[in-house]
Amino acid sequence: MSIENLKGFDPFADAAKGDEESVQDGLVHIRIQQRNGRKTLTTIQGLSAEYDLKKIVRACKKEFACNGTVVEHPEYGEVLQLQGDQRTKICDWLVKCGLVKADQLKVHGF
Amino acid sequence: MKDDEGEAPTAEAAEEVAGPQTTGPPEDDLDLDNLSKKKKKKKKKKLVLDGGEDEDEAHEAADPDLDLPEIPDDIDLESFGKKKKKKKQPLNLDELDDALPDEKEDDEVDLESFGKKKKKKKRAGELGGDDMKDDDKENVEANPWVDSDRDYTYDELLQRVFNIMRDKNPELVAGEKKRFVMRPPQVVRVGTKKTAFVNFTEIAKMLHRQPKHLLAFLFAELGTVGAIDGNNQLIIKGRFQQKHIENVLRRYIKEYVTCHTCRSPDTILDKETRLFFLQCMSCHSRCSVQTIKTGFQAITSKRSKTKQ
Ligand SMILES: [Zn+2]
Repeated sequence: MSIENLKGFDPFADAAKGDEESVQDGLVHIRIQQRNGRKTLTTIQGLSAEYDLKKIVRACKKEFACNGTVVEHPEYGEVLQLQGDQRTKICDWLVKCGLVKADQLKVHGF
Repeated sequence: MKDDEGEAPTAEAAEEVAGPQTTGPPEDDLDLDNLSKKKKKKKKKKLVLDGGEDEDEAHEAADPDLDLPEIPDDIDLESFGKKKKKKKQPLNLDELDDALPDEKEDDEVDLESFGKKKKKKKRAGELGGDDMKDDDKENVEANPWVDSDRDYTYDELLQRVFNIMRDKNPELVAGEKKRFVMRPPQVVRVGTKKTAFVNFTEIAKMLHRQPKHLLAFLFAELGTVGAIDGNNQLIIKGRFQQKHIENVLRRYIKEYVTCHTCRSPDTILDKETRLFFLQCMSCHSRCSVQTIKTGFQAITSKRSKTKQ
């Protein structure tokens, strides 16, 4: 005899995904970095690997009118890099698009 | 503190016992007449109606939340002396409408200004005096739901718990708790590409934290590197302004200095098997804090340079 209820749905499916390195602590870290002189760079680390970051970066570039790229990192997975300080914009946008929940965002920097 | 201040209003207190009854009717009228009017307005009107001696009443009538800032100390931590300019204003305000409970005033009092502090204490003392009156009142109207069948409302319960809290912890009301004074970071540019955090060691000492730990946090947050030079200054790569450093320090204090439960700065940070724990000396709570992680660091130097 089997219990029908438990078949279709695996409650721990999400947890397994959480183990992936790209997700890490489940937070999306948004950092700012200075590069030569006044120029800055915004990095977004921890976006779920389920998303197509190439598509996201394309949308971001258009939305914020800045250049951007996706960098593959051995430890942190795919990381989004955007030119300039896009921290507030990217936070708003990620939440607005429903890609990340507001409480998952962790903004670093000054 | 509470005693000597409490003494002064006792004469009033006698009147005050009768106070609620006398002030009751006009308040009721007001309620009936302008139901739509907000509490704040009511308070003002009441002042006009009742005159000076009922100022204290106004305090009590104030929303319990207004007294909240008395309890936590974190405001001080966050101010860094920036509010120096603002200080003048509240001082005047203080004199003008002492009667209106003003949250702002509490915010201002963090710095080394002793005159202002005294003033604040006095205010707190008045509040303390109120509480003594409150006790008398409590018998009369502390639990308005007792006599009726109705349930207590949230606000009533809130008022009740605040009354009890003030009752049991007079020092909370009196603002006797040790204030944590934060000095602003001194930040100067070094050449075009570096920044010196002049009083870094001093600030680490003030926060009772290892400079190493604070340094790790600063670098992780700012996404940069640096070192402590011979004069105990922290030299940071990149250009940063005082406000930037302040922001980071504020976050450091929030996470690693003030107790997460009671926000007291009287805490110890100790390491236990790779994890840091914040142990509070005031409320004895103990909680783990985030480990400092640098996270992803983009390569910002020119590729040709890194190859060499
Ligand atoms: Zn505590």
